[in-house]
Amino acid sequence: MITPGDPAAPAADAQGMTVVARTQAQLVRRRFFRHRAAMISLVVFALLLILSFSATGIGPIPGWWKHDYTTVGSVVEGGSPTLSVVPTFLGGDGMHLGDHPFGQDNKGIDYFALTMRGTQVSIMIAFIVGALGTLLGVLIGAAAGFFRGWTETILMRFTDIIIVMPLLAIVSVLANRVGNAGPFWLAVVIALFTWTGLARIVRGEFLSLREKEFIEAARAVGTPAWRIIRKHILPNTIGVIVVSATLSIAGAVLLETALSFLGFGVKPPDTSLGRLISDYQSAFASRPWLFFWPGLFIVLIALTVNFIGDGLRDAFDPRQNKVRS
Amino acid sequence: MLAFIVRRLVVSAGVLLAGTFLAYCLVALSGDPLARLRQDNTPGVEDRIAEMTDRLNLDTPVPLRYLQWLGSASKCLVPFAAECDLGQSVRGQDVTFLLGNAVSSTLQLITVATFTAMIVGVIVGIVTALRQYSRLDYATTLASFFFVSLPLFWFAVLLKQYVAIDLNDWLADPTVSLPAAAIVGVISGLIWASAIGGDRRRVWISFGIAFAATAGALLILSASGWFASPGLGPVVVTVVGGAAALGLTALLAGFRYRHVLYAALATAAVGAILNLALDQVLSDPSYLTLIGLLLLAVAIAGGVGYALGGLQRKQAIQTSIGVAVIMSVTIFIDRMLSAWGNYFDAVDGRVVATFGSRTPNYDGGTWGNLLDTATHLLLPTIALILVSVATYSRYTRASMLEVMNQDYVRTARSKGLTERTVIVRHAFRNGLIPITTLMAFDVAGLMGGAVITETVFAWQGMGFMFVTALRDVDPNPAMAFFLVTGLAAVVFNMLADIAYAYLDPRIRLS
Amino acid sequence: MTTPTPDDPFRDPRSMGAAGSDPLDVPAAAPTEEIGPDERAHLGHLGLSRVGAEELLRVEDLHVDFPTDDGVVRAVRGVSYSLNAGEVLGIVGESGSGKSVSSMAVLGLLPKSARIRGSIRFRGDDVLGMSQPAQRSLRGRRIAMIFQDPMTAMNPVHTIGDQLAEAVLSHELMPRRKAMARAEEALALVGIPQPKTRLRSYPHEFSGGMRQRAMIAMAIINSPDVIIADEPTTALDVTVQAQILEKLIEVKDAVGAAIVLITHDLGVVAGMAHRVLVMYAGRAVEIGETDEVFYNARMPYTAGLLGSIPSLEAQDASRLRPIKGAPPSLINLPTGCPFSPRCPLATDICREQEPALLPTDSMGHVAACHHWDELAGVDDPTAFFRSESEASR
Repeated sequence: MITPGDPAAPAADAQGMTVVARTQAQLVRRRFFRHRAAMISLVVFALLLILSFSATGIGPIPGWWKHDYTTVGSVVEGGSPTLSVVPTFLGGDGMHLGDHPFGQDNKGIDYFALTMRGTQVSIMIAFIVGALGTLLGVLIGAAAGFFRGWTETILMRFTDIIIVMPLLAIVSVLANRVGNAGPFWLAVVIALFTWTGLARIVRGEFLSLREKEFIEAARAVGTPAWRIIRKHILPNTIGVIVVSATLSIAGAVLLETALSFLGFGVKPPDTSLGRLISDYQSAFASRPWLFFWPGLFIVLIALTVNFIGDGLRDAFDPRQNKVRS
Repeated sequence: MLAFIVRRLVVSAGVLLAGTFLAYCLVALSGDPLARLRQDNTPGVEDRIAEMTDRLNLDTPVPLRYLQWLGSASKCLVPFAAECDLGQSVRGQDVTFLLGNAVSSTLQLITVATFTAMIVGVIVGIVTALRQYSRLDYATTLASFFFVSLPLFWFAVLLKQYVAIDLNDWLADPTVSLPAAAIVGVISGLIWASAIGGDRRRVWISFGIAFAATAGALLILSASGWFASPGLGPVVVTVVGGAAALGLTALLAGFRYRHVLYAALATAAVGAILNLALDQVLSDPSYLTLIGLLLLAVAIAGGVGYALGGLQRKQAIQTSIGVAVIMSVTIFIDRMLSAWGNYFDAVDGRVVATFGSRTPNYDGGTWGNLLDTATHLLLPTIALILVSVATYSRYTRASMLEVMNQDYVRTARSKGLTERTVIVRHAFRNGLIPITTLMAFDVAGLMGGAVITETVFAWQGMGFMFVTALRDVDPNPAMAFFLVTGLAAVVFNMLADIAYAYLDPRIRLS
Repeated sequence: MTTPTPDDPFRDPRSMGAAGSDPLDVPAAAPTEEIGPDERAHLGHLGLSRVGAEELLRVEDLHVDFPTDDGVVRAVRGVSYSLNAGEVLGIVGESGSGKSVSSMAVLGLLPKSARIRGSIRFRGDDVLGMSQPAQRSLRGRRIAMIFQDPMTAMNPVHTIGDQLAEAVLSHELMPRRKAMARAEEALALVGIPQPKTRLRSYPHEFSGGMRQRAMIAMAIINSPDVIIADEPTTALDVTVQAQILEKLIEVKDAVGAAIVLITHDLGVVAGMAHRVLVMYAGRAVEIGETDEVFYNARMPYTAGLLGSIPSLEAQDASRLRPIKGAPPSLINLPTGCPFSPRCPLATDICREQEPALLPTDSMGHVAACHHWDELAGVDDPTAFFRSESEASR
């Protein structure tokens, strides 16, 4: 009788394929660049970012657009948009921007400048929320998942408490107060309530990773806890974190605009895309463009960021290596 | 199981207590109710400040004020006690009074939205999972991304401005033109063809049938003036019952053995007969009668399934009950539409409502009032469920794809089960498990969404009350909102947990 | 190995369960009765010269390709074998050698994206050309499968009894009560204590070994002609492995089935199989009677596998002689013999020409090697894999 034992790995893969070795980063990058929707979205979003930030300028740096988003001017042709995209040979007015491509509001303020400023503010808030919320989520989730015991119980119950309350409502309560302090503080307040989902995910990842052999090996040789987290666990959760951070940016844009629409978000004189829609909602019948432009930009931002997040998820998800038809 | 529920209850109560405390502090922090009065210089303002301070208990420190609020709020838990007290608004109204109407109309909105979103989302998710990488799959993926990225408030305003007005204008003279019917037909053909799938021949056949049926139906309905006075009538009810019998049998049992089919068809026949026989009862029933009739229908269907099911009794009962429920819903819609003409005149032809939750001073009997509620629910529900439908469908699709790759599905196939049994019995049941968790989250999301939807559509519910309270710096109504939404979240979490335990035997013991 | 005796109550597959009340069972079960008890006893022993034994399954030139993002994975490249009634055929190979894929193709369980060519015949009927319902009525009824991991192969939300009864009910219409009785009988047969109460248990309430027993019960409940066991013991404890294998042989004889035993464990094959098929890189590289293949390996890969087994009889640990390197990518196969990069006997011809599966020096023993005669010339073929340190000693 021959004793069992075989050089082959015990796990027999049904499809049984061996693929050329690539590093994890290479694989992720390759899969992401192959995700067509994500690539298109990345380009569109980058253009949007450049357009909005360069048009009205950042802080003291002036933008290239001739009008300012606060300057009141004379209303030309009822303030309708001068943008034309239909070429002359198709019977249109030719492709040109005109003086007020997105039109003007009832006070004669250039609406392109306003929309660009609104986009800028909304994107800024969304990025701060994304960064801060991710940081909070990772910290809380990591602490709960790694230390277990009382730390975990307290942190997770706290997470439950925040999840129980409707996000939009609880943020409204605080945002209403801090909205006057400027977009930055509004972003901070939103971030204070948007970390919960990620914290739960990170905790779950930590719980499963800390049982893995390589972590036990690291612990066995006396590696300090923070080093295990930083060097061994975090790199393995990076995919989940990156994807969640991206998607939280899309969520933050929608949340901030909704808050501003209700009047609890960005306060005048500053503006945001939600604020614009709220301000000009009543002008809908007479000047629909005042309503459409900011909405279009919100959809563009949220849609592109969501697609980028989806591309990242596909890229990080090893299950994507499965056989496809 | 009982211990599990009790433990969940205790934990949930703790979470709810802590949540309300946090919300109370935040609401107290969010603004000073007296700010407006302090700027007021009219004589006697001091009295008013003192009076409001006393009414809102403002000179008590916040934590203590919370305890007092909690103390009086907890009396609401005692059944039939008139002492239920959630404080007063800045205008001196009892919050319990304000809450009364708001809760019921918001619950109406949320319940309809939850069930619609769940049913539509899960069905779309399953179909797209089974047709992975098809055109339908790509189209719904794209659509769901679009829905998730759509700002709710913007979409709600669009619905209100365009859909309501255009639909009402069209209803004034409802005719479907030939091109319009053709376009709708093509869309329906594309959807059916890609959902049914198969080889090229089958795709073209299903496209053709769906196109002809849809476009034809639209033109015939238009020509016969159906859109001007819609209704189903006993013939349609019978046809729907027969179709439901065939469809559900195909889904739940297959046609290899006929017992289930006979039971389902018998149920449909009984339903059609009862629809005619109960004409008197159904002309203006009370809500209680309606519920009783539904229960009766289910009971009869169960009996028919039991009697005719033979060796497939269990499946026969399930299928028959399914047929009975579908028929009841059809009869319900049929009866509701019977009030159309009356209602149309009462609202001057502006049938699709954009304001509030019911037409003031309108009483059209049971069916008229139900129709009134339905027309008011239409647009807010559509606005509210877009995100939820997208989430449910994405989640279901992912979950089903995951499950379809599991070893036990392969085992099920290796036993020689039909593809239908593999999907319905093995994949679907397991695929549903993660959906239950989603349900709890989604209800909290819908509550938040209701804040926006109710604001846009002036729906006098909780969300509307909350926004008004926040604008007026009115802490008690705002707090009532958090209490109710927190309760709802906890209750739905519990329901999700119980559903989870029911679906997954692995956690029953723990 | 137990040999069925004529008085074995389970010799006739139809004596099991409620088959008597089953009108559908009669025609399909009839052919098994052609093998008389004497013949069966004869077959049970060594499986040599199985003249007159009925051929159940014949796989000819089976190819399976999977298109992936990285290219076409050629998982199976022209495998042929046959299986006779009552026989145990061992299929041995490393992970990814195509052994599981080829048997899943027999049951029609491969994903839709798989491209299958060649022919699979069950009792002479072309399985690949069959209609879906016809294929389905084979699955679980005539050809059953036991999977590797009993932890994941059973549906966690249905009871064991339901999952067993379902296998019966999907092929025959009968009262649930009767199907449950069959399930109970099957559980008793595989040695699960208190089968009646165990019917109501969920898979998670069973231990790994118990679950694998239940899997076996599920496979034999319809008295199939062929059981495909895909690494049935790999996921189990060593002590449990032996019990399960013994039980598998026992119930195989009870229901009169043939077994295709897929494994990477040569020990399992040696103890159970009549014949062995060795697979490498999607092809069969050696087929023969078990003893022939084990004692007179005619393909260096087989020799290498044998040399990789630690043995108690060996005096020192250095006798372990592993095969160096890893199996080739099934997307870009090297030209010539796919084993040539790892083969100590490889010459230029090996790197240019893939050897065909040809007869060797003994009857019914075929191998795919240009140099099989070199192996025939030495006493211990594993010596070719001797490491340098060992050789220099």
